[in-house]
Amino acid sequence: MAAENIHPYRKARHVRPQKEWKEIIAVYLYLAGMGAGSFVIGTLISWMGVKLNPPFLSSINLFGYSLNLSRIPIFWGPIMVAIGAPFLILDLGIKWRFMYACLNPRTSWVARGFIILSVFIILGLALLAKSILPFDWLHADSALWRIPEVIALVFAFATAIYTGILLKATKSVPLWNTSLLPLLFLVSALSTGSMSIILSTLGTGLFSHNAGPLKVLMGSEQVLVVIEGIILYLFLSRRYRAAEQGKDSVRLLLFGEMKMIFWGGVVLLGFIFPVVLETIASFFPGNFVAIFVAGIFLLCGGFFLRLGILHAGIKDQIPMHRLMEIQYDMMAGRTKAT
Amino acid sequence: MDQKVLVVDQQKCTGCRLCELVCSVFHTGTSNPSRARVKIIKWEDVGIYLPMACNHCEKAYCVEVCPTKACHREPENNNRVTIDKNLCIGCRTCIIACPFGHPFFDVQDRVTVKCDYCDGDPQCVRFCDMKAIAFMDADKTNVAKKREAALKFKASIHTAR
Repeated sequence: MAAENIHPYRKARHVRPQKEWKEIIAVYLYLAGMGAGSFVIGTLISWMGVKLNPPFLSSINLFGYSLNLSRIPIFWGPIMVAIGAPFLILDLGIKWRFMYACLNPRTSWVARGFIILSVFIILGLALLAKSILPFDWLHADSALWRIPEVIALVFAFATAIYTGILLKATKSVPLWNTSLLPLLFLVSALSTGSMSIILSTLGTGLFSHNAGPLKVLMGSEQVLVVIEGIILYLFLSRRYRAAEQGKDSVRLLLFGEMKMIFWGGVVLLGFIFPVVLETIASFFPGNFVAIFVAGIFLLCGGFFLRLGILHAGIKDQIPMHRLMEIQYDMMAGRTKAT
Repeated sequence: MDQKVLVVDQQKCTGCRLCELVCSVFHTGTSNPSRARVKIIKWEDVGIYLPMACNHCEKAYCVEVCPTKACHREPENNNRVTIDKNLCIGCRTCIIACPFGHPFFDVQDRVTVKCDYCDGDPQCVRFCDMKAIAFMDADKTNVAKKREAALKFKASIHTAR
């Protein structure tokens, strides 16, 4: 006997997450977050004066100029953000009109975000170029460069937080409408950013494997992962209690059709595998494979975190919905009685 | 007060979807209900039909989140909230922000569209045979509902006698 559909209206409501923002926005959220996070970590490494070994390919000759490549592995964040930002434009209905967004900065967070991203990409790429180009008139060691570096660092933080604010600003989705979401995306950006720097420096020889800086970086990355896990728990538990649709979203993420993305992508790839593999790697000094695999898993986990949260967004209930539920119950009961 | 609003009486709606048809003809020139600014949500198994039109909210989330001011309020036109098609970039933030699920993405024009009261003469109101949608003064909506409730009450007393 077929199972009786006892409450089709309720059932239909439970599985209706938003469909407007799809994978393309998740890719943007991920690349912008990771790029900004890696720039923050890279700048902090640079400021702390960590002694870096020259990489196996420290410079190349191009058009007679010797380009210095030794700092690219810690400053390549803005390139990722510059790759991610066009995904936001690709999602627009009329792509060439993206310029309209920056003409009205006071109107909304989408417009403000456009400016934050633009400033960060321009400043970040300029600082990257400064570290590469060999011109003496740039005075690469001058203390004055600290000013653009500080501004770029502030905008890198703003970019990482903005990815969460973009979702929070929509207001009518209870899962996103919390200050914990920008915080979660910021910590995730820092953890994926630090891991991306660890990955990019692994092959270049910038850090010796047993060197102190790498250990500190990996230690801080593990701490960030643990903090991210705690914030994710707080985020989900608070959203579960926030509203009926918040509960629906969390259930969809944990037990519904998004459960593979959450348990497989976020929990296993993003948290458990990296921690386990990094612990194993600490017993085998000199073996990069475990760290490399852990890094790839962690970066995938960061993407699935954003994808899951984006896809599990369910809109708030309006009083009309409740009225329709009551009417549906009454009508269904009457139909059954006859 | 000369501001007018759309008032939907869900009990009267029969789900004929004529409003969707005339809306799409008026705004797009095509008989294509999927491009209409009003949508009838149906639960056929129990016979519930709910016309969903824009509420032109006092505190409109769609206006708040629009990055280009394409979605704006026009106090001179019944205080309506409308979208300027020439400014819309099609980011769909307003669609996510609206709790009533109202602005729609027009896949042909690649912009978001919404109800604009048909510039003061809503076609859905004009063509609705059952008068399930009315366009009336904002301060008279309660009076109309009360009158209808009173008429129903009167009819039930007649039946009882």
